[in-house]
Amino acid sequence: MHSSSFKTLLTTCLLLLCIARCDREETTDEYRIVSLSPAMTEILFSIGAGDRIVGVTTFCDFPPQAKKITKVGDFSHPSIERIIALKPDLVIVNLPEQTRTKKDLDRLKIRTFVSSPHSLSEIYAELSALGTTLGLHEAADSLILYMKRNIDSVHTLRRKKVYVEISPRPIVTIGVATFLNDMIREAGGENIFADLDKDYPTVSQEAVIARDPEIIIVLHPQDITGRIGWQSIRAIEERRVHTGLNPDHLMRPGPRLVEGYWALKEIIND
Amino acid sequence: MTKTALITIIFLTSVVIGILVGPTPLDAQILQLRVWRVILGIFAGGVLAFCGCLLQGLFGNPLVEPYTLGSASGAALGAAVGILVFGAISPVLAFFGSLGVGFFVYTIARIEGGLLRDRLILAGVVMSFLCSSLVMIVMVMGGRELYEILYLLMGYLGIIINDSNRLMIIALIIIALGLVAFLYRFHRELDIISQGTETAAGMGINIQVFSLIVFFSSALLVGLVVSLVGAIGFVGLIIPHVSKLLFGPKHRFNLGASFILGATFLLLADTLSRIITVYELPVGVVTSLVGVPFFIYLYKR
Repeated sequence: MHSSSFKTLLTTCLLLLCIARCDREETTDEYRIVSLSPAMTEILFSIGAGDRIVGVTTFCDFPPQAKKITKVGDFSHPSIERIIALKPDLVIVNLPEQTRTKKDLDRLKIRTFVSSPHSLSEIYAELSALGTTLGLHEAADSLILYMKRNIDSVHTLRRKKVYVEISPRPIVTIGVATFLNDMIREAGGENIFADLDKDYPTVSQEAVIARDPEIIIVLHPQDITGRIGWQSIRAIEERRVHTGLNPDHLMRPGPRLVEGYWALKEIIND
Repeated sequence: MTKTALITIIFLTSVVIGILVGPTPLDAQILQLRVWRVILGIFAGGVLAFCGCLLQGLFGNPLVEPYTLGSASGAALGAAVGILVFGAISPVLAFFGSLGVGFFVYTIARIEGGLLRDRLILAGVVMSFLCSSLVMIVMVMGGRELYEILYLLMGYLGIIINDSNRLMIIALIIIALGLVAFLYRFHRELDIISQGTETAAGMGINIQVFSLIVFFSSALLVGLVVSLVGAIGFVGLIIPHVSKLLFGPKHRFNLGASFILGATFLLLADTLSRIITVYELPVGVVTSLVGVPFFIYLYKR
């Protein structure tokens, strides 16, 4: 049996089941949201839509109230059946990680809101669009304003070279297509891999050494100061390797980016 | 003699290429990195090809190697479990993974008084797929990213070496080389066994015990390699054949030549993998590109 026709059959059955159940229950004015994005879960809470969320992923751990909401799977593997069971009016999906879920939802004619920000301006644009969708544009606008005001541009004569390491084996860093790249720029630094036209590229040790960063930000627990071949890097010689930062403040495109930005600003302009 | 000189020259050239050729200009720091990378390449390529030669001789099967037997993927599974449980790759678990899968495949292929050649490869490839899926499940459950899994399953020589893992790596390499030297002493027995098990039994070789020793040691070697650089495929398949073409069937020359040629091949593949793109590719990508057509050629022959 072909898996595609099996899938169609399955989704049809689920759809019928869903319609049958909808008929029995009375419709409410309440807007039911399933958020598959930890960042969007944070945003929803901060614009006052937290009580409308009926489903989240296991990664949605902030604010603490989010942990009490029904889980529909993890970030990369949300369960379509669990989502449908919650009868959502809107599902917030992340691309490209949740492309398959989005396709399934489209086929079931369940409304989706796509989140896939690659820059700060895209974060603001998404926030504004979400505000309009939920009829909460005032709250959304004030959140945008709060973020824009706090993630302000630092003026410097010379930008310090910053290297961000997300994972050590293989080495994964950030390219130009990330909001973290923008934040480093706003804070007066320059991502050493800003020339790579990707979001999270895998790079070699040699490339890092050749680009000789002045500041290193490590977002994983491994110690990097004893690495062989890395000792001539300026950041290591000058002991400007920073490990204590909260990755959720830098990698999650939500309101807490402001806190991440403050930490970056302090590190870069130290 | 001339052939020996030839492969020595090719080997030394590949070492020089491995050190000199790369995306960044050479300085003292980069040199350190490249030297370590070349050491890992010689170790992994040499050991894998050596194991391939050993296993092909033992089973009298030209398609056998750590990768097609499933023991490389078994080692990767052990390594993945180690990452999940201890937060680091464990050579011991990689060894048990390699050994467990190897034995399982061996049991499936065994019949009364012998081995079924095709079944050995079939079982090996099937187990290899199974282990790869299990690695996926284990790593995803442990909240690991896909690229990490990819590099574990395809192999990567550009690993980070630091103060805390340097001694362990040196120790593992010494253990591996000791084992290789120990196994090399069995070259005569291998010659006889590859002629046929009846002859071997007639000449007083205890095939059961001998197979156990070879199987166990090569599983340990594969476990050591995979725990350091991941499951690199096809080196152990191609190289023993090339070596046989050059030096004939005698294992006395074959085992040593396989080691040297395996090291050479992996060094060249690794050099290629780091200059093809700006991004680092797993070295298994390159070895598979060469290895898969070769595998098909051998199977069709």
